[in-house]
Amino acid sequence: MFHRRRATMAAFLLPAIVVYGVFMLYPLARGVYLSMTDSLGGPIANFVGTQQYRAMADDPAVTDALWHTVLYAAVVVIVQNGLGLLFASMLFRRPKVRRTLSVVLLTPTLISPVMAAFIWSYLFAPTGGINALLDLVGLHGLGHVWLGDTSTALYSVAAVNIWMFTGYSCAIFLASYMSMPTELLEAAALDGASGWRRFVSIEWPLLAPALTVNVTLSLIGSLKVFEFPLVLTNGGPAGATDTLTLLVYRNVFGGGKFAYGVALSVVLLVTVVVLSSATSSLLRLRERRI
Amino acid sequence: MTSDITAPDAPSVSGTRPATRLPAGGTTSRAPGNPLRRLAGGLGTALLCLGTLLFVLPFLFTVVTSLRTAADVARSPLGIPHSLTLKNFSDAFSQIHYGPSTLNTLLITGLSCLAVTVIGSLAAYPLARITQHWSTAVYRLFILGTSVPVFVVVAPLYLLMRDLNLLDTYTGVVLIYIALNLPVAVFFYTSFIRSIPADLEEAAALDGCGAFRTFFTIILPLLRPVTSTLLTFVSLQIWNDLLVPLVFLQNPDKRTVMVNAYSFIDPHTVQPTSLFPAALLGVVPLLIIFVFFQRQVVAGMSAGAVKS
Repeated sequence: MFHRRRATMAAFLLPAIVVYGVFMLYPLARGVYLSMTDSLGGPIANFVGTQQYRAMADDPAVTDALWHTVLYAAVVVIVQNGLGLLFASMLFRRPKVRRTLSVVLLTPTLISPVMAAFIWSYLFAPTGGINALLDLVGLHGLGHVWLGDTSTALYSVAAVNIWMFTGYSCAIFLASYMSMPTELLEAAALDGASGWRRFVSIEWPLLAPALTVNVTLSLIGSLKVFEFPLVLTNGGPAGATDTLTLLVYRNVFGGGKFAYGVALSVVLLVTVVVLSSATSSLLRLRERRI
Repeated sequence: MTSDITAPDAPSVSGTRPATRLPAGGTTSRAPGNPLRRLAGGLGTALLCLGTLLFVLPFLFTVVTSLRTAADVARSPLGIPHSLTLKNFSDAFSQIHYGPSTLNTLLITGLSCLAVTVIGSLAAYPLARITQHWSTAVYRLFILGTSVPVFVVVAPLYLLMRDLNLLDTYTGVVLIYIALNLPVAVFFYTSFIRSIPADLEEAAALDGCGAFRTFFTIILPLLRPVTSTLLTFVSLQIWNDLLVPLVFLQNPDKRTVMVNAYSFIDPHTVQPTSLFPAALLGVVPLLIIFVFFQRQVVAGMSAGAVKS
């Protein structure tokens, strides 16, 4: 009886395995194969081994894009989670405004990255909102062509990403705060531990799992960022905001270098998997030591 | 939104957790008798409100600018609006074919969400209950999908869809969304079902209940809270996605809101008075849903961070 039951149960997996296998695993495997051909997307393709990958080594656009992608991710991960933690710990200490403000902070998360990028493309424009605001408060000297200057473009794009997802980081930290054992916090308060001291020796260690989740999520998310640089700068100026995803998109659908684009997507996959699994296992190790 | 999420470790975090519980720790540090400390606390609250305001300011600015005339905005981008108009909205409405494209987006999002929850919960049941080598391997294979960016599969998927004659069809797009979101659903549901004691199911099995009946009468009703959390997350992903419809739906009649807004509006030449209404129209349906399901949305977004 139990044997038949288990067989029926295993059959529940079939629809998922079929859809996931055909539309995820098979394309993944085919992508790895295509990256070792000279395919143009048509039926004719010759196996060329590692030729596409070797071509990348001589392509400064690729090394630049890789660097931009990693730098962008580092800025987003650090600033977004730093701000999220700051907001969460302040909100935790203020129960009256906690719920309202955390919902307000989450609002940017709801909109599409495309829409966020639209809004900010105007805010960053030379005569747009930010420069006008700086004029208004008398800081005219700080006015800047934010997206048009190679030294600020990447950080400006990252700022939009941070604006959108800080509320998300904050919500995760706050959820972790809310699950802290009340007795421990009360005991700390009775012992006179307050402010910074309480944060360092009690809250920070208890936040370790939330930090792991936050860092891993924001790292994966920012490594595969696409809509922000696409809409805001389309890789410019002078390639200063070209990321791996933009390069993949341009090569695959721009015509002519299909297999090269696919090979770039494999590089993206390796980057994401290596960096995210290394980071999350490091952070998990840290969790266990605390 | 980041297209990854971690599953709740226990059923308690997914909507059933009492969000209203106020820990004593939040208030005890502010002794009422200490004016200096109270001043510092008040200052902190003020700073906090100011910081939060900075995050919504771009929103408020977008709404106000959307309601102004182009000439008025050109004169002073941050000035007080002299006259308000709804004309920008009606222009954007027709420019991005808002009605039809919203219906397209709704259809795609709805079908994908339905399929993801059905297929995902079915698959999660054996993965949670059968503990053998093969099932662990299958589970790992699904979880692998949570860190695979769409870009890695977009080119081979394009070829596959072309070969299957599924380019320019809703079926094709929905199938892609199911495959992309199944890892999250499987992760969510499996960890949730694992936290449900198996006693009830064993009793049902002894009474002669088959796997089908057990799943539909015992497991499925318990999955409701985690499903609402998952749906919030998945529908946000699909509604806001640009890449999949951009690549796989070429027919203008089938395009989604995001694609229309993206292809009709060039942010570098177009006025904010036509840019902003379009941006707002694209998010209005989601904001309405958010108002209704506020608690689930917040729970859904923060699910998984809490280890109990």
